[in-house]
Amino acid sequence: MNDEVVLVLVEDQPSDAELIMRVLRKHNLANNCILLTDGAEALDFMFAQGRYADRRIDDSKIVLLDLKLPKVDGLEVLRRIKSDERTKKTPVVVVTASGEERDLKTAYELGANSYVIKPIQFGDFSKVVASLGIYWLMINKRPA
Amino acid sequence: LSWADPKQAPAEPPHLAERLKLLEDSQRATLNVLEDFDAERRKYQNIQRATINLLEDMEAEKGRFARTHQATINLLEDFGAEKHRYQQIQRATLNLLQDMDDERAKLGQTQFALMNMVEDFEAERARAEQAKALLASANKELEAFSYSVSHDLRAPLRAISGFSEAVMEDYADRLDDAGTRYLRLIVDNAHGMGQLIDDLLAFSRLGRQEITAVQVDMAAMAREVFNEIAAQEPGRDIEFSVGRTPAAYADHTLIRQVLLNLLANAVKFTRPRKKARIEFGYLPNVNGGVYYVQDNGVGFDMKYAGKLFGVFQRLHSDTEFEGTGVGLATVNRVVARHGGRVWAEAQPEKGATFYFTLPAERTER
Repeated sequence: MNDEVVLVLVEDQPSDAELIMRVLRKHNLANNCILLTDGAEALDFMFAQGRYADRRIDDSKIVLLDLKLPKVDGLEVLRRIKSDERTKKTPVVVVTASGEERDLKTAYELGANSYVIKPIQFGDFSKVVASLGIYWLMINKRPA
Repeated sequence: LSWADPKQAPAEPPHLAERLKLLEDSQRATLNVLEDFDAERRKYQNIQRATINLLEDMEAEKGRFARTHQATINLLEDFGAEKHRYQQIQRATLNLLQDMDDERAKLGQTQFALMNMVEDFEAERARAEQAKALLASANKELEAFSYSVSHDLRAPLRAISGFSEAVMEDYADRLDDAGTRYLRLIVDNAHGMGQLIDDLLAFSRLGRQEITAVQVDMAAMAREVFNEIAAQEPGRDIEFSVGRTPAAYADHTLIRQVLLNLLANAVKFTRPRKKARIEFGYLPNVNGGVYYVQDNGVGFDMKYAGKLFGVFQRLHSDTEFEGTGVGLATVNRVVARHGGRVWAEAQPEKGATFYFTLPAERTER
């Protein structure tokens, strides 16, 4: 096995992060996942800078991105990923509690590949997370 | 000459010739006197005539004079009238000038008042602008608040519900029935609170949202909305009919919410019926045309009709029918913002009918 990161979870809410990781684990999708808890760290990771300087850029299959993040806002992280040649092919799924039309619109305009609202009911939430993981990690094909 | 007294003896008579001569003399003298007298009389007559002529002339002169006098008087009179007229004109002119002065003063006052009004108006406009800016900032703040409410208030609910389910799943073998039931209640309540937050946010958004009125095919929208609702309750036997309904002029999204809430209520409150009947229709002759949603559901007692459209007002307990008490308040607010009215008629166990009016043409609030 290589230690290539395939799933990047950017989530500042520890409870949400733990619940998402739990579901991914249950579906054997949690291998090679990384949890990042603010926008600045997400950018460092995506662009292999700061403490991720030794990393190769653009080797993750999917980024699950929360919008309300400390330091750098989720929409800004999305904009930076999608406007950089090196990272723009990386699928980014916005996973957020905000159902605001404005956020949805902005996210799609910036190039989000999908937009998912976190359901309150955990049963629904785990189903959503599981199907997201299965779809993006196993079904979706992306250029090499 | 003396006459003979009869008792005296007459004197001796004079001689006749002498006597005759005497008579002749006396007669001539008398004639002379008479002649003189006549001349005198003619003279007098001449004088008299002259006097009369003079008097006549004088009379004419007097007449002329009188006429002149009269003319003078007339002239004076005319002059008097003229003077009077002139005085009147002068007085009128003075009055006019006075009036003009008054008018000017009044004009000045009016101008002053107008200027004050303009000033007041300016102040009012400044105040209105300030109020508008305040409202805009309040709205912005409210929007930020709603955003943060929807985002942050739901996060702990997800944790409550999520970890309760995690316990139920991962520790099922160590939980008895009561433990599982308690966890289930925690999950359900968290879900209910989430619903409440969503509804409340949607409701608060309604008041701020701009209304964009377009032509809406109400019948088509009702069918589409009903199908969406019915899909969530498979296994139900619901007969849904749509009557002839004219298009409305309304905000598409908002009026869809009205139909969604009314039809969802109809579907919900007919749940105990083996065969539910729901009808969406239009009465052209009632209150200038009303749309209605009628069902054969559980209905309600009209004495609670006043509570129907209040926020968080419910006529059923959660064990009977779920709900947050925001649906009809939303309907009411949307219809009111369109300039329409909503009301209901019902009887317990005999179904309910909800009516609402919408302006046929463009009237926005």
